[in-house]
Amino acid sequence: MILIKRQLEYSGLIMLAMLLCLIPVSGGAAIQGISGTSFNFTASSGHISAADGDDVFFWGFGERGKLPQYPGPTLIVQQGDTVTIRLNNHLPQNTSILIPGFKVQASGGTPGQITREAPAASTTEVVYTFIADRPGTFGYYSGTNPDLQVEMGLIGAIIVRPSGFSSSAPTAYGDARTAYDDEFLFLLSEMDPEIHHAVEIGTDPVPTTGFHPVLWFINGRNGPDTMSANHVTWLPNQPYNAMPSIEVGKRLLARWVGGGRDHHPFHTHGNNYDLIARDGYLLETTAGASRPASELGTVPDLAVSDFTQNVAPGGSYEGIWSWTGAELGWDMYGHTGSETGVCEPGPAPPSTIVNGFDINTREYCLDHGKPLPVVLPNAQQLTFGGFYSGSPFLASEGSLPPGEGGNNPSAGYAFMWHSHNEKELTNNDIFPGGLMTIMIVNAPDM
Amino acid sequence: MKLFCRILITLVLLGSNNVLADVVVECPTWADPGHTQIDYTGGTFADGNSDGMIRADDGEITDPISATQVCLHLAAGDGLVNMADGYEQYMFGFANATGTAAADVLNTFMEGAVFPAPTIKVKQGDDVYITLTNVGMNRRPDLFDPHTVHWHGFPNASAIFDGVPDASVSINMGSSLTYFYHVVDPGTFMYHCHVEATEHMQMGMLGNLYVTASQDEVANGTVLGTYTKQAGDRFAYNDGDGSTRYDVDYPLQLAAFDPAFHDASLNVQTLPFADMDDKYPMFNGRGYPDTLAAAGALPYEHGASSPVSTLMTPTAGDRMLIRISSLSTTSFHTIGIFGLKMQVIGRGSRQVVEPYTTNSITIGGGESVDVIVDTTGTTAGDKYFLYATNLDHLSNDAEDYGGMMTEIQIQ
Ligand SMILES: [Cu+2]
Ligand SMILES: [Cu+2]
Repeated sequence: MILIKRQLEYSGLIMLAMLLCLIPVSGGAAIQGISGTSFNFTASSGHISAADGDDVFFWGFGERGKLPQYPGPTLIVQQGDTVTIRLNNHLPQNTSILIPGFKVQASGGTPGQITREAPAASTTEVVYTFIADRPGTFGYYSGTNPDLQVEMGLIGAIIVRPSGFSSSAPTAYGDARTAYDDEFLFLLSEMDPEIHHAVEIGTDPVPTTGFHPVLWFINGRNGPDTMSANHVTWLPNQPYNAMPSIEVGKRLLARWVGGGRDHHPFHTHGNNYDLIARDGYLLETTAGASRPASELGTVPDLAVSDFTQNVAPGGSYEGIWSWTGAELGWDMYGHTGSETGVCEPGPAPPSTIVNGFDINTREYCLDHGKPLPVVLPNAQQLTFGGFYSGSPFLASEGSLPPGEGGNNPSAGYAFMWHSHNEKELTNNDIFPGGLMTIMIVNAPDM
Repeated sequence: MKLFCRILITLVLLGSNNVLADVVVECPTWADPGHTQIDYTGGTFADGNSDGMIRADDGEITDPISATQVCLHLAAGDGLVNMADGYEQYMFGFANATGTAAADVLNTFMEGAVFPAPTIKVKQGDDVYITLTNVGMNRRPDLFDPHTVHWHGFPNASAIFDGVPDASVSINMGSSLTYFYHVVDPGTFMYHCHVEATEHMQMGMLGNLYVTASQDEVANGTVLGTYTKQAGDRFAYNDGDGSTRYDVDYPLQLAAFDPAFHDASLNVQTLPFADMDDKYPMFNGRGYPDTLAAAGALPYEHGASSPVSTLMTPTAGDRMLIRISSLSTTSFHTIGIFGLKMQVIGRGSRQVVEPYTTNSITIGGGESVDVIVDTTGTTAGDKYFLYATNLDHLSNDAEDYGGMMTEIQIQ
């Protein structure tokens, strides 16, 4: 629905918000989190800022002495480490941490239904210890009254690096099939602010059966806040962004975690990914078995190519995603053919790509010099997006009417990554927002 | 009313955009005998064989710039469609304007959108030009929404032809934008408008889109691994072994309407995004039992239904390929066939590495799954129900025995 007035409001407000808040992340961005083997957590309450402007009361895990956060700190540990989490609790009810996928020993605190708990409003610690005996992506969740506490925000993610991990040649599981150039976490969740309000004003018992989520999150933020920088001061309880970017012809590792109670179909515009693992288990017939990836390199032999990942509550998924621009049928740089390049061999069969890519531009060689096959209408006939560079060509800036574009200074190709339950692209009844972000594919740094 | 709005929209078009609005069909052709100059706007060609598109290999394009050139023209705007309980819903959507002279497109297709959008079926290797003309919203002349085409799942998509308004451009009322796709991979995709996606998709800007495999073209008798190609065989993917072979295929797109949302749109009310709650679950734009009726819009007291039939009529022994996709904006759906099993051979437009057999497929918005149903052992006259096993999706609003259900009637 765009009324003329609304259109002005829309572009004006959103643009202003974007320009004020957006600090585009260029390649090499890493997953934010805390590394080590010993972590001290406190569960406490605070307010998160929903992108519709609402402050939502929440319960979160935080590093002791710091603010609670949504989601809780992402723990980045090494395979083989003995990991200890000490939790105390300022909340009005007991809480705890479950880490599905690992054999966790709990001590201290008080006994609970599923695990030992940190008692309410106390400095008494419960201590969870586990050996991170396998690499992968995992979630952690409250195991106390989880129907309410997970909704309230007591969730987080754990990344276990494989043995021998090297940040200069990273892999997810220790071999070339899971090698990547950049990695991003997408912890998906939703909230029903009515429940949060009921908790804040002390309603007892809290009605959770009428669950009606109207806020949807990636890494604890609603769109468009997903695209603001990590650790912006105006989102003190939501430190993590979700703005992936990658260069043409590189491998991106997407780590998805289902953090709420609904399924979310997460669609990757731009290309298919190869799902390489679920819940930290590689999709392979036998250890080391591989097949060619959809685009570049290899993946485990049972990897599933898809364009939408159903992220289930409590599940985790890892996918390798690349964008090569192969066989577009036109020159993505808008070269006219006079430029020379150096081509390397194409990928192995069964890929049908018979020629390779320029070693500098990573352009698909056979498309070199081919013109854009259409003539775009004039500016007055078009509505421009904030992530449009003004040109159909990669790394090119075109002329845009005043006030248009501006969110894509590297002039990369922008692709929306989002929930395809389109209802979830809203913030409390307001479109656009919710479970969405923008993935930017950049030309190589030449 | 229609005429009034038409005049109003025309005035607005002239007023706000001066004379810059322009319907332009781009089906490029060679402009000179030496094939050095391209005439990008080519011409409007007739769809000689009425397959809904203009194909060079059907001899429908004069001086095509490639032998695999295909041109389509979609009009985007509003329309009306009847649900299976007779309730008429206001909708946004697409219509197939292919072959219509540019000067006639606005008048011909205003308030002419159909649900679901026209099925796009092309071949692997095609060079596809899709011209999108925004004909405006006749029933909502206060709206100025642009539209796009998003080819959902297109591999190595470029931003400019991906149809996400935030990431590139969308086309304003009265104007045309042409998308280009060099189609590399076969498979089951889908398409939809991506402008204000929650609204435009709930309102119905959704359609089937699939690409047939080049393995279809191999000569009969060709050995494909352990399989030898027979006359009439087609293949979902270039499997190399006949494992995705089918005799007959049926696209099956799942979508659902929330009448409160559609009525709010028609009546210029605030749109209920947070309370969006679908009451009309549909297969290819119809609820049961309309799903069974032949192709062609079913007349209702006011208006008419979707023109698409979802009755499946394989001959006993056929291998049926069902190309399942979902563009539901609110729910996951689970699809089953009472009495026949499904072999999953593809998902996300790719052949699966490990096919498996199942009685149910759970599918979320933006997912596609290809299943083969082998009717060996059935007999002519047998009838099987294909339906959503979420039993609350088997209704047309308050009317029971409806919604996402159709029949497989063995011939
Ligand atoms: Cu639209
Ligand atoms: Cu889509």
